[in-house]
Amino acid sequence: MIINTTILSWVTFIYFGSAVFYIFRLVTGKGFWGTLASVTALVGLLAQTAALIIRWFESYELGIGHAPLSNLYESLIFFAWTIVLLYLIVEWRIKSKHVGAFVIPFAFLSMAFASFSPNVNSRIQPLIPALQSNWLISHVITCFFGYAAFTLACGLGFMYLIKGLERAGNAGSFLRLLPHREILEELTYHSVVIGFIFLTLGIITGSVWAYSAWGSYWSWDPKETWSLISWLVYAAMLHFRFVWGWSGKKLAIMSLIGFAAVLFTYFGVNLLPGLHSYF
Amino acid sequence: MKKRLISFFASVRLTIILLIMIALVSILGTVIPQQYGPGDTVTHLSPKLVDIFKSLQLFDIYHSVWFIVLMCLLYLNLIACSIKRFPTTWKLFTTRPSLDRSKPFEDLPPDNIVMIEGNRNEITSTVERLLQKRLKRFRKKDTDEATTFYGEKGAFSGFAAYVIHVSILVVIAGALIGSQWGFKAFVNIAEGESTDRVYVERQSGLKKLDFTVRCDKFSIAYYENGMPREYRSDLSFLKEDTVILQGPLRVNHPITVNGIRFYQANYGAIPGGKVHITITKANRPQTHMTVYLKDSFSLHGDAAKVTVERIEENLMSMGPAVLLTVHSPDATLQFWVFKGIEKMKRAIPDLLDKVPKFNPGRYKPYYFELNGIEQTFYTGLQLSHDPGVSVVAIGAFLIVAGFLVTFFSSHKRFWVRVDEAEGKTRIMVSARSNRDPVGLKRETEYLLRHIAARDTARLA
Repeated sequence: MIINTTILSWVTFIYFGSAVFYIFRLVTGKGFWGTLASVTALVGLLAQTAALIIRWFESYELGIGHAPLSNLYESLIFFAWTIVLLYLIVEWRIKSKHVGAFVIPFAFLSMAFASFSPNVNSRIQPLIPALQSNWLISHVITCFFGYAAFTLACGLGFMYLIKGLERAGNAGSFLRLLPHREILEELTYHSVVIGFIFLTLGIITGSVWAYSAWGSYWSWDPKETWSLISWLVYAAMLHFRFVWGWSGKKLAIMSLIGFAAVLFTYFGVNLLPGLHSYF
Repeated sequence: MKKRLISFFASVRLTIILLIMIALVSILGTVIPQQYGPGDTVTHLSPKLVDIFKSLQLFDIYHSVWFIVLMCLLYLNLIACSIKRFPTTWKLFTTRPSLDRSKPFEDLPPDNIVMIEGNRNEITSTVERLLQKRLKRFRKKDTDEATTFYGEKGAFSGFAAYVIHVSILVVIAGALIGSQWGFKAFVNIAEGESTDRVYVERQSGLKKLDFTVRCDKFSIAYYENGMPREYRSDLSFLKEDTVILQGPLRVNHPITVNGIRFYQANYGAIPGGKVHITITKANRPQTHMTVYLKDSFSLHGDAAKVTVERIEENLMSMGPAVLLTVHSPDATLQFWVFKGIEKMKRAIPDLLDKVPKFNPGRYKPYYFELNGIEQTFYTGLQLSHDPGVSVVAIGAFLIVAGFLVTFFSSHKRFWVRVDEAEGKTRIMVSARSNRDPVGLKRETEYLLRHIAARDTARLA
């Protein structure tokens, strides 16, 4: 096994540990677990960054140098990386560690899928002609930051709904420890906005690329179509908030629906025939 | 009636319904295999259902009448919404709120009120300096019992939503320009051949270009592991037998000629081809030959006739091979000659005993070697002419610009009143915003904190 995949399979366990610690923090309310969880996540992120750089170098040693963003394995790894990076930035900004229990598990799942699924090939492969483009990097980065922000929004929306279960009677429950619903709602909204902007940029960079690779900036390829559907769902969500003044539970549910569309854009589309078949 | 029609088109409810319908139709288009070229639709549906789907244009949803109707409705809806709302936005931008109003200060939360000891005039001028520094379109009104200030931030942000919606209209307009005055076409050209006629998508018949395209050569380069590294067509574009442009066409590197972009889209081998073989008979000099598929040749000093039956680029993943039939007066023999037979024999030492059909020396005393096969390819080119691209690009750019303004600024308006109450100087701060309550709260707290500390001097 090449060194980068070894590190990356270790990172999978590190994120698992971090997710568990975040959940301990949430349930016990003890600050120690939160600190441990953050440190673990940060260590995982740094190790993963190193592994990605090593993988990049290794691809050059193989004489097929390209950024590690070119197949399903590499995209899953990058997805996890963007989730953890974005999450840690948010944690640092809001100074609260509760959200981690709902977000870091996604990073772990993505890593685990990449590392352990027999259908995901971890080898560094050369770029087929269609992927040999300068737009590869900007397209993948913008899309995955968008996906990561939507993942965050989904985790926050889920938290909002769980927080809604809190009753006066169960004062001792961990629900009491979750941030206030207004804060969760605001964070969900901001995550969706960030994701929406990145998704838009991802669609635009993809169109520019398609214009030089496929002969048309828009071909109604299933992945393109589903990215548009996700975009429409979040556009509707923003209008619900801006124009109809929706808030709270409805918006939290919208963030879950939007994430389902994003997941289908990412994975489900592979079940349909189309041009994006290499992802 | 007219009014009701306008209010119907200008409702956000219609927008949402249209968005949902467009999304649902789009989903349908990803589930039903779409195809718009000529040819039979390959599905497992019953013929009756296929007919129904065809009449509903379900195999070409994104260009169907009803999808276009949905898009047109969205277009009208966006225009109507913008027209309906614009006067309000404009009024909000231009009107100067009256400073006599007391409404902003009714029901003010206690957090927004600061009481400080000290001279009212002095405090008033401190507050004035602070607000002037932080806010735009600053105004002030003095009366005997109070001084009222008004200031705002990000007044322009109200227009960003219009920029976004108009930009979406621009993108759709660009797409319509493309579909109206542009075209997409494809053509296959064999190596050495040329053409000036191409098949236009979604239309029957050929389109004649005002120049000729010639494919000089098509080649594929591979990585070591066998994955394709490059598809390349060497093309020449000619006008009245003079070459106007020449160059390699590769995937991701289109060539533009007279406003028409050429893309490397496809390729294929033309059935046939030729092989180079060497024949060795014990103790005799070797014979080298080049033979076409299905052609026959005779062997030196023998009555047998050899025919090239099949040519395979890569037979059973063991590389190029050719199937030969030897018709001799005594018998008919058939065997494969692999280019890499020596390597295969090293890998499987008893290969020839096990599979005599792979023995290139099966017809004794002759021995055949395959030196190479020559395939003729055709290149599949896609052509597109789209005069709407720059319009779409401008629209897309404006959408992003509009997003940045919409999401990262908001129209914050502040009323501040300084008067006296309970023997102290009272400062009341009222804040309104079209969105971003967090940003508004942050700015309000900032103002209150500095007013309370009276350290506005440090602000500069």
